[in-house]
Amino acid sequence: MAVKQVQWHNHTLTISYEIVNPDAKRDFIVLHGWGSHKELMRDAFKSYLPTFRHIYIDLPGFGNSTSTAPMNSFDYAEIMELFIEAISAKRDIIMGHSFGGKVATLLNPDMLVLLSSAGIKEAKPLKIHLKIALFKMLKTVGFAKLRHLFVANDAKLLDKHMYETFKRVIAEDFSAIFARFTKKCLIFWGTRDTATKLESGKRIHLLIKDSIFKAFQGDHYFFLQNSAKIAHDIEQRYIHTKED
Amino acid sequence: MKQAIIFGGKSFEHEISIVSAITVAQKIPTIEIFIFLDDRHGFYLVPKGAMKASTFSSGSYKKFPKLRPIERGFETLGLWSKKLHDLEIINMIHGGDGEDGIMASLFTFYNISFIGPKTAASVISCDKFLTKLYAQGLGVKVVDYLLVRQNESFELPFEFPVIVKPLNLGSSIGVSVVKEAAGLSYALDTAFEYDSQALIEPFIDGVAEYNLAGTFCDGTWHLSMIEAPKKESFLDFDTKYLDFSRTTGAKKADILDKITDEIQMIFKRIYGTYFIGSIIRCDFFVIDEAVYLNEINPIPGSLANYLFEDIASIVTHAFHTLPQPRDIRVNYRYIDKIHASKGK
Repeated sequence: MAVKQVQWHNHTLTISYEIVNPDAKRDFIVLHGWGSHKELMRDAFKSYLPTFRHIYIDLPGFGNSTSTAPMNSFDYAEIMELFIEAISAKRDIIMGHSFGGKVATLLNPDMLVLLSSAGIKEAKPLKIHLKIALFKMLKTVGFAKLRHLFVANDAKLLDKHMYETFKRVIAEDFSAIFARFTKKCLIFWGTRDTATKLESGKRIHLLIKDSIFKAFQGDHYFFLQNSAKIAHDIEQRYIHTKED
Repeated sequence: MKQAIIFGGKSFEHEISIVSAITVAQKIPTIEIFIFLDDRHGFYLVPKGAMKASTFSSGSYKKFPKLRPIERGFETLGLWSKKLHDLEIINMIHGGDGEDGIMASLFTFYNISFIGPKTAASVISCDKFLTKLYAQGLGVKVVDYLLVRQNESFELPFEFPVIVKPLNLGSSIGVSVVKEAAGLSYALDTAFEYDSQALIEPFIDGVAEYNLAGTFCDGTWHLSMIEAPKKESFLDFDTKYLDFSRTTGAKKADILDKITDEIQMIFKRIYGTYFIGSIIRCDFFVIDEAVYLNEINPIPGSLANYLFEDIASIVTHAFHTLPQPRDIRVNYRYIDKIHASKGK
C-alpha cells in the first residue's frame, strides 16, 4: 500500500492506493463501490490481466483515504483526476463497481468497465419513501437525533459529512452522462442484484452506444466469484480496441 | 522481585511483538508475569498458560484482568484490586509504544524497573535520521542518505538502485528497493503510508551484513557472537517475521579478527551511556573492509536470544544492575529563604 496527498481546492486529501504489476505499460485503474475498499477489488482481480499495471484506489472517505467535506460524484471525479495525474497514470482502462462506476464514467477512459454500476435512479419502494418523509417531518419538529433509526445500514457507520455525501450521490441521475460516453464499454451485472437492479444495467447498456452487456449469476458482489471470466472479457475487448 | 514481560502495543509491529514474547517466554522460564498491551492501550494480565498467538488474534485476552500502571508496578482494576509490585519488566514491544520512548517514559514516571531503551535512547534509535546523526557525531561511518519529506521535490544525489525507508520504523515494513527512476514515486508513497518522512540510501546489492547484540551490566560487556544474517535481496517483512520466532542458535560469521574487533569497538561506542539498561542489536555493513552502522535495534526480535549462549542469565544480570533513577527531593529551601528574608 501507499499514500499520496492531493490538494483539491482548499482540502488536502490523503489517497491510499496499491499497485500490482508495477512494470506493466498499460494501466488498469479500479474503483470500489460505496462502503467498500480497494482490498476487496484487489483480491478479486490481482491475479488476472498480467500485462496491465493495476492501480487499486480507496476513494476519499473509504478504506484508508480521507475526506474532509461532503461531496458529489463530480467532486470525486475531480479528485481522482488530480490523483491519476499525480501518480502519472494513464486512463487506458478504468473499472468501477457500483458508486465507483459513476466516477469511472466521468473519468472518460479509453475503455470503461462497469460492475453493477450506480447512476440509474430506481423507484424506491413506498416504505423507504415513507421513512424519508417521516424523517423530514420529525426533523422540522426537532427530532433529528432519531436519524439513526432511518438511515440505511450503509450510511449508519459514516461520519456526518459522509452521510451528506451519500444523500447527494444517491440523488444523482447519470442517464445523460452515460448517453454521452462514446468510447468502448463493458457492463457486467449480477442477476439477483437488489442494490442496483438488473433493469438498470440493461438501461445503461442502451444509453452507452458502444457497450457490451453481460449478466452473471449472483448479487451486487457477483464479480467476486466471476473475476476470471470478467478479466478475460476485458482483455479480449481491449485487444480489439487497439486493433480498431 | 518478579520477572515480567510486556508486549503488543499500538504498533505496526504488534504481531511480531507477540511472537517475540512467546519465544522469549520459552527461552527464559523465570518470567512469571505477562502483560499484554492491546492496540487500544489497554493493559491485560495474561496467565502463562494462555501465552499463545491465538489468545491475542481471537481477542480472548479480553477476559483476563485489566491492569493500570501504579508506582513501582501495576494493579488490577476492579473491586478487589491486586497490586503487582516489585516487577522487573522486559519491554518486548517493537515499534510504536515500545521503541519510540512511550513505554520508557511511562515506566520511568512510575519508577517501574525495566530492561529496554530509556527515553533518549529510544528517540535516537527509532528515527533513522537521528541514528545517522548520532553515529556520525561519534565518528562511526554510515551509508549516504537523503531525507525526503512528503510533498517535497528533491534531486537524487546518487545512482539507482536505491532503498527507500520510512523514517520511524525498525522493521522492513514500508521499505522497498528501487531499481530505476520510474519506481521511485511509488516506493516513496509506500513509505509515506507509515511516516511523513522517508530516507533514501544507495542500495548495495549483496553487501556483507553483520549483526551483533549485547549489553553492558555488572561492569562488564556481554557481547553475542557476530552473525551474518541470511538474506534474499533484503529481509522482507515475512522473512523477518519468521526470523523473530527463531530459537535455534545462529552460525558464527566467518570474518577477519580485525573486522570483529572493529565491529565490537563500534558497538560499544554506539551503546555508550545512552543504551545502559537495554539489550540491543546493531546491524552493520562491511564495505571494502570498513564497518558502517546500518541500524540500532534497541528491542531486537526475541531479544536476539539466538545470538547468545545463555540469554536467561544475561537478563538476570541486567535486572540486577539496572540504572537507578536519580532521585530528586524538593525541600522548598529557596522559597522558604525568600519568605524569611521578607520577614513573613
